[in-house]
Amino acid sequence: MADHVNNTKHGAILEGIRIADLTTGSFNYAGRLLAGLGAEVIKLETLGGDPLRQWGPFRNDEENVETGGRHLHLDAGKQSVSVDLETSEGQMVVKDIIDHCDIVLESFDPGYLDTVGLSFESLITSKTDLIMVSMSHFGQSGPYRNYHGSEIVDVAIGGYLRLTGDPEREPVKPYDDLVIQHTSLHAATAAMVGIMHRDNTGEGDWFDVAAIDAALFLIGGPTQSYFFNGKVAQRNGNRLLFTEPQYLYPSTIRPCLDGYVHAHGNNRNQDLLAVLMPDMGLETLFETPMGNADEIDEIMDVWLSTRDKFEVVKLAQELRLPFTEVLTPDEILKDPHLEERNFLVNLEHPLEPDLLQPGHAALMSETPWINRRAPLIGEDTDEILEKLLGMNADERAQLRNKGVIR
Amino acid sequence: MTAQALNKIRVLELTTAVAGPVAGCVLADMGAEVIKIESPGGRSSRSPGAPLPVEGAPDHPYNRTPFFNELHRGKKLLSLDLKHPDGKDIFVRLVKNADVVMENFSPKIVGRLGIDYAELKKIKTDIICVSMPAFGKTGPYESRASYGPGIDAMSGLSHLTGYPDRGPGKPAQFYCDQNAGLTAALTVMGAIRHRNRTGQGQYIELAMLEGEMQLIAPALMEVMMNSRSPNRIGNKHERFAPQGVYKCKGENEWVAITVRTDLEWQSLAELIGNSELANDPRFSDLRARKTHHDDIDKLIESWTSTVTQEQAENIIQAAGIPAGALLNLNEAFTHQQFLHRNTLVHVEHPEMGTFPHTRTAWISRNKNDGVAGPAPTFGNANSYVLTDLLNFSAEDQQKLKDRKVVSDTPLD
Repeated sequence: MADHVNNTKHGAILEGIRIADLTTGSFNYAGRLLAGLGAEVIKLETLGGDPLRQWGPFRNDEENVETGGRHLHLDAGKQSVSVDLETSEGQMVVKDIIDHCDIVLESFDPGYLDTVGLSFESLITSKTDLIMVSMSHFGQSGPYRNYHGSEIVDVAIGGYLRLTGDPEREPVKPYDDLVIQHTSLHAATAAMVGIMHRDNTGEGDWFDVAAIDAALFLIGGPTQSYFFNGKVAQRNGNRLLFTEPQYLYPSTIRPCLDGYVHAHGNNRNQDLLAVLMPDMGLETLFETPMGNADEIDEIMDVWLSTRDKFEVVKLAQELRLPFTEVLTPDEILKDPHLEERNFLVNLEHPLEPDLLQPGHAALMSETPWINRRAPLIGEDTDEILEKLLGMNADERAQLRNKGVIR
Repeated sequence: MTAQALNKIRVLELTTAVAGPVAGCVLADMGAEVIKIESPGGRSSRSPGAPLPVEGAPDHPYNRTPFFNELHRGKKLLSLDLKHPDGKDIFVRLVKNADVVMENFSPKIVGRLGIDYAELKKIKTDIICVSMPAFGKTGPYESRASYGPGIDAMSGLSHLTGYPDRGPGKPAQFYCDQNAGLTAALTVMGAIRHRNRTGQGQYIELAMLEGEMQLIAPALMEVMMNSRSPNRIGNKHERFAPQGVYKCKGENEWVAITVRTDLEWQSLAELIGNSELANDPRFSDLRARKTHHDDIDKLIESWTSTVTQEQAENIIQAAGIPAGALLNLNEAFTHQQFLHRNTLVHVEHPEMGTFPHTRTAWISRNKNDGVAGPAPTFGNANSYVLTDLLNFSAEDQQKLKDRKVVSDTPLD
């Protein structure tokens, strides 16, 4: 396995922290972040592997549980122990592993872990300072505890979905698992809070993280405006949610010669837009920019229609107008900026040796960000059962024959 | 009682826009003392956004801007002119008493103010510095200006969000800001732990673009694996069908539904139509349902349009299928699950009364959660910093105010 780390004197921030990761789907991002910070993350997955592995993309569209794109990204830096949690012996193995861990990450339906003897209450009888982070769609208690969630349902109830899309069309969800991945970032942060708390007090903690909360957190300011003036924010296409006529404009996406640009005024000097697009009548519209948004769009569209996105952005940025290109995935892969920063990395997976994927979420001057390829199903089962639990080859063979581990 | 996890940690926050302030909020909520340093001009960081109307409030409209208040809850506020030599001197003395300095100015401004890591390390050897540049401190776009939505555009998120039959879209709010803010809080805490164990500070560079690209990975891999550049798929799901947002009875009512398995489809089909539909071979498996997705959507909507969004949610959930009413913000405020979780925490602001903030997405058994306190009023920590922390005499403080280095009200 190739380790891609920057040259630093010290070990990683979470060196010596061991994590049992029982999450699935995009909730796996929490463990990926903590692995990036150097924790030893043991992914505990079923014999068939985490269902995340069935979610592509796959090369040539051929499904392969070892090479799904989401798995390769979100499980990077983890080890894999494959164990059947539906068997009592499997439950013992998982419990023994957790006894040797500092943190548990999980995203089962609330209450499931009780049924397999792995609730927080039962785990802390033997591991008294355990930090457990439970992720779910609606939370571990309350009237919605047993409701069924999904990304689109979570953003619906979290108020976020109604705010995305064009006013005259149906609301439209944001890309992919945006809110579940954001929930996982909150979960990783909660785990770090738990470590700080344990360092200070010696106590563990149980964190209950909910996706609907993360959705509401992402909305920010408009919640407060509603509280005071009763105005319920509504989706506003590509414009900002604050609609007072004096509000800044543009902040939107408009078509240009070869695609789209993000057009944005300079907050401190609205007139700069009229310098970029002179003699077109913009100057008179900036008293109430948001109130004149349609007129501003019309003028911008004329100017943009004869220029390609890279030219537009170059001219705008020279004036300190924060325009940017709306890039497509294939354009991003050719982007010189990401290349110069070595952001995309090849983690040399034996079955996907030529694939690049996102590396660091942050760069730190004295401690490394750890990028290591995702594990095969059960790749580390033997090593961890032997080294961590002291299980010899015979015992492991027995468990394997019974279909408890893989 | 607020969280104590970051007890005795002092953070100096020199931030603008959204990402940096969000990071400061999270650290404050977890028990750190966060001192936001604001220019005595003050106004620029508080716009855009009209002041909120509050009956009987003092005539300080700058203390009632919603975005600013949302983004600075739980912090202290020092109004200090860093461009003035006396202001810089105060800042240097504060750094000696701080653990973390966080900024998200453009690299050019940081250089001009002389507050980069190399300089601050000379003042305090184990200081932890955090920068949140839009694109990074190296690379061709280093000096580009951008706010959150501009980064969403360059990350691919705009291209991938929205309707398949329309242009690129914007998620409700900008993802990269909150994403970078949380990631900063996470790594700052990690750096504090590293310092506690080794005595070594460090510099954290968090390019907002790179944080956001963590979400875009599947789309990039699709290009590399299959030479296909993905487009918007709207409300559909790659692995589940049907999924969508369906019109309900009544004005502007919608329900979101995800059908994850063949079994769930059969339940939904019986619920919205009849057993014939459940056994229709056109819809029997995922592939078939994806092929006929638009037909299915019409069938679902012909049923949802006969019930309210709450009824639709209840009936479909009762059948074991993920479904959710599309809540407006006013509905979220009084929704039983949010009330149960105290997701919106009411805190009392000195000039605005009691109002709610959205806490981070977790509840902790040991109370490492919640909201630290209200947003600060302008310059509310001037006296605390100058008197309690730095021992300036009353006379010297007056001189600083006369020179407009410090101010108790906005100067512009």
